[in-house]
Amino acid sequence: MEKRLLKLTVNNQKYELYINPKTLLVEVIRDHIGLTGTKRGCETVSCGACTVMIDDMAVKSCSILAVQAEGSHITTVEGLEKNGKLAPIQKAFLDHGSYQCGFCTAGMLISCEALLKENPTPTKEEIREGIEGNICRCTGYNSIVRAVEAVVDGKYKEE
Amino acid sequence: MIHDFTYLRPGSLQEVLSMLADHKDECKIICGGQSLLIVMRQGLLVTDYLIDIKGLRELSYITFDEKEGFKIGATTTHRMIETSELIKQRCPVLVAVEKKLASIQVRNWGTIAGNLAHGDSSGDLAPTLIALDAKIKLVSSRGSRVVPLEKFYTGLFETALEKDELVVEVQIPPARPGTATAYEKFNLIRNDQAIVGVAAGVTLEKGGTCKEARVVLSNAGITPIRAKSAETVLVGKKLAGGLLIKAGEAASGDADPVSDIHASEEYRRHLVKVLTERMVKQAWNQAAHS
Amino acid sequence: MNKYTVINTHVHNVDGIAKVTGRATYTFDVKLPGMLYGKILRSPHPHAKILNVDCNRALELPGVAGIVTGKDTLGVKQGIWRRFQDLCDEQILTVEKVRYIGEPVAAVAALTEEIAEQALDLIDVQYEVLPAVYEPLDAIKKEAPELHEGFERNINVTRHIEWGDVEEAFEEAEYIREDWFKCGGQAHMCMETRAAVSSYTPDGKLTVYHSTQAPYYMQGLLAGVLGLKDGNIRVISHYVGGGFGGKFELDGAIFCSAVLSMKLHRPVKIVFTREEDFIATKRRTPMFYYVRTGVKKDGIFCAREAKVFTNGGAYTGMGATALYLTGFFHSFPYRWKAYRYDGYRVYTNTLPSTSMRGFGAPQAMWCSEQQIEWIAADLGLDPIEMRRKNAHYPGYEVPGQATIASCGIDQCFDVVQKWIKEKGKLPENRAVGISAAGFMSGGIFNWFDTPYSFSSAVVTINYDGTVELYVGAQDIGQGSNTTLAIICAEALGVRVEDIKVHSGDTEHCPADLGAWGSRQTLMAGNAVKMAAEDAKKQLLEVAYAQSGFNIVYDLDIKNRWVHAIARPERGYDYAELVKKAIRGKDGQRIIGRGYYTPHRKGMISPAYSYMMQAVEVEIDKETGKIRLVDSLTAHDCGQPINRLGLIGQLEGAFSMAAGYGYLEYMPYEDGKLMNPNLVDYKVIRATEMPDVPVAEIDTYEPEGPYGAKEAGEGLTNPTAAAIGNAVFHALGVQIKECPIRPEMIVNALKEKETKTEEKEDAA
Repeated sequence: MEKRLLKLTVNNQKYELYINPKTLLVEVIRDHIGLTGTKRGCETVSCGACTVMIDDMAVKSCSILAVQAEGSHITTVEGLEKNGKLAPIQKAFLDHGSYQCGFCTAGMLISCEALLKENPTPTKEEIREGIEGNICRCTGYNSIVRAVEAVVDGKYKEE
Repeated sequence: MIHDFTYLRPGSLQEVLSMLADHKDECKIICGGQSLLIVMRQGLLVTDYLIDIKGLRELSYITFDEKEGFKIGATTTHRMIETSELIKQRCPVLVAVEKKLASIQVRNWGTIAGNLAHGDSSGDLAPTLIALDAKIKLVSSRGSRVVPLEKFYTGLFETALEKDELVVEVQIPPARPGTATAYEKFNLIRNDQAIVGVAAGVTLEKGGTCKEARVVLSNAGITPIRAKSAETVLVGKKLAGGLLIKAGEAASGDADPVSDIHASEEYRRHLVKVLTERMVKQAWNQAAHS
Repeated sequence: MNKYTVINTHVHNVDGIAKVTGRATYTFDVKLPGMLYGKILRSPHPHAKILNVDCNRALELPGVAGIVTGKDTLGVKQGIWRRFQDLCDEQILTVEKVRYIGEPVAAVAALTEEIAEQALDLIDVQYEVLPAVYEPLDAIKKEAPELHEGFERNINVTRHIEWGDVEEAFEEAEYIREDWFKCGGQAHMCMETRAAVSSYTPDGKLTVYHSTQAPYYMQGLLAGVLGLKDGNIRVISHYVGGGFGGKFELDGAIFCSAVLSMKLHRPVKIVFTREEDFIATKRRTPMFYYVRTGVKKDGIFCAREAKVFTNGGAYTGMGATALYLTGFFHSFPYRWKAYRYDGYRVYTNTLPSTSMRGFGAPQAMWCSEQQIEWIAADLGLDPIEMRRKNAHYPGYEVPGQATIASCGIDQCFDVVQKWIKEKGKLPENRAVGISAAGFMSGGIFNWFDTPYSFSSAVVTINYDGTVELYVGAQDIGQGSNTTLAIICAEALGVRVEDIKVHSGDTEHCPADLGAWGSRQTLMAGNAVKMAAEDAKKQLLEVAYAQSGFNIVYDLDIKNRWVHAIARPERGYDYAELVKKAIRGKDGQRIIGRGYYTPHRKGMISPAYSYMMQAVEVEIDKETGKIRLVDSLTAHDCGQPINRLGLIGQLEGAFSMAAGYGYLEYMPYEDGKLMNPNLVDYKVIRATEMPDVPVAEIDTYEPEGPYGAKEAGEGLTNPTAAAIGNAVFHALGVQIKECPIRPEMIVNALKEKETKTEEKEDAA
């Protein structure tokens, strides 16, 4: 199968890759670019471990062809920090113990970040809906909701 | 594993149509791919050419006209519909249905046409749109046709789409005065696929009598089912004297559900009955107040 | 007033930065130079002889590096119960016969996953299909097909627990009730599926990256099946995406990747798909329970008799322990005058069942706590007071089984009683259900036959005062790295951020039985405390020598401050002392050692946690759908150590246990799992979770480090029963099978209505 040139912008970095067009976005991110923070946990678009942002929208990268993301801005968990400075949501996760095994965490952080970008003052119910597409087997979700609430309350206002 | 394919990215609708004409049997359309990629990964669908229309902006629109009603372009995402002020005002049931579909991630990328064309009888949009008397516009290099959505589903994951046709638009007629539509699905976890679902639309006369009714069932057959017996029960009546129970029982009789690990046939029929009662009541109350 | 400096304070998880920035590397992420990808060919039959495996066509596929079958292995029948050879019954890559759908028959290594998968289709296996049996009550019939030679009636293991005179106690009883129950299986459903990367090198050494709860067990078990020395196997497991009891045995990923790598001398990576994880990794043990209970009219418990048949599936795994623990915890947390438990684990041609968080206790409580609630209702007694009358207390001896030291169950009753009272009258379709429970803090058993202490730790202090803590305890997300760092910090007198935890590598860490049975806080915690105190003693020796204080004065270190306990304001920095001490030891780092093995602690565990949980549910009578509204858990884990970790464990346990109660249905048909994916297997999501507040009861466990006991597994025990009891109180129906499905509730209500009508007709 003839490979296709793909130009992708991930975390503000431009990449040029030759890929089989059937390659999924999550495969390009993890295997071709080498950013392994984003995970995979199922084959049925159910678990959300592969969640990344395309132009500030949370999407499941396991059900998107990489070629479809050409020309967009992709953000993965690695792109949340800026020069080693953690994003407010990451700080909130640390303070609230909003992760345990950590495998769902990358996707979870992205869903939270996308939620807050679209709606900076979500209600508790809206926060739960915002992470509805992400399964966590360890935390029971409530500590994640508390972390987002803390960000909403302004606890991590950027200096 | 997904089988290899030749990837085509048309830049316009015309290009899509000529590609479809050229490749007919050997090609498949991908837009959001939220359903398609799963079946491709399982090897259930193999195609030589994959035509990607996700980038076709010209097919992404939501317009409303007092006479024509809503026209929603094929590549409009679920999220666009969910957050559309226009739809919230004039067709709120559609927003309610979208909110209950899968997850935000899937709704951000998946499209209305992709959902409808996939032909999953447990989908939420098709039954609701049928209850809204929606039509679907199909286009090919040979011309175009508009098909009532009710006639679009021909079998299990089968639609009336010809090999060279593309869904380009969903049309929803403007709601007549005194009309309201409601949809509810039964599942264990919010936003999961329907175990069964019922869409009910009623149009009331000024005096409160039901002029028209549409009851459409999700996951109670191999295609969405118009529960015509239930509709017959409702038309010409006022909301009283066990009408809802009769309608529920009739809908339950119209259903043709399967038994699977989620529910037995008997329980599905029971759920159809319960949900029909509830949705007819909800639509009726909304229509009475509109 | 917290009497500790670090313990039970708000401490960030020590792996936090790695996990929230995507830097944590899981086995799922590991890539080694020259690595091949492996895939496993699995049996489509539940029971069949393997006549022939022809790999020729597959080997010809370009990109295929090699294929192995059972014939390429030593054919060792292994199992984690090493002391009991007849329970070591599993070859993983089976040689002669397959015993469940999904059992590995061959494994391929290729340049890409895709090629490996294509190669599977080209392997031709000839089977002779044998009759199969799927349910334990069918498998014990005389005419049932035999799964393992020598196991008559397919009875794999039996267990018997008894005290008192059961017959006599039943005679004394004034009310007797008997019920049959069915407890479903459950999938661990770790977010990281089973994964392993094995690399065998020409020096005869094997390095394995494995997503595991017990690197030490993997090392020993691999040595046994591969014919290697323990010391030539290195198991690395830095970050693990969940375990929950499913990842401390050998699995197909680690075994097949190791065998392939030994053949090809290249690294081989095997990662299970989610579907494989569902169909081919051992599950929670499904159980059939018969319970007969006799009580006095005032609610005093006299006798209980339980007979249990568990669906063991095709192999033993950890199922023998689950069989024992279910029978033991079925008596918890109450005093029985007489108790008799007979458990039978039966082989069937289904996915083997094993340990899963709770280890047989969630099943036990599903039956016990519901029956007790029904007895209270039958007799018109207050269900909490009836429980209270019979509950364990500190010092109680479970006859011949265990001595209870700390026990806060009575205070748990108070808390829950108050909460329910404050709720007041609930709307018609809502009710509260309760369940008590207790659980172990690690087991005293050594079926693995380890010659090492159950837990060990080494503390090394560097010149700048930073501390290296080496433990064999495994962090699988429960936060043991942090909990142990907290204990170390408290014992040594430093801060958590001074400590670097080394775990998850058998090459650098001491042996430890690993993360299961809720053992690490108590056992590894004791080892760490001992090691830190050893190191501190060496520091203080120098401090004493320098101090010139009167002999009656004691020195200590707290928060990096070396001081006389009686005069804390006079002291100096710990870092100064470290420098002096190292100089005093000829330039050697300060090294402290610690270890722990339970001795003479009864038949089960050195310490027991206690809890009572109340769950408020709302039920849609017409559809039978259950909604979780609210909850409260009163919990005695002795001294909480890791506050954030504790809350996380409690809330997480609830989510998993609630799933067992009303969501995670795992149906099999003719040995085939019907829902091996996350669409049809229902796992709870954020929108379904209620608040899970916890009230910690203050007790002190003498056997635990700083008085600590387990937290996190015990809390998976009560929830299913609490939900069942809520359904009982809301609707008056008794559901005897878990998980409760809505259709069952609708049917139960229909049945109840019919019975009521019949009664009225008769009247």
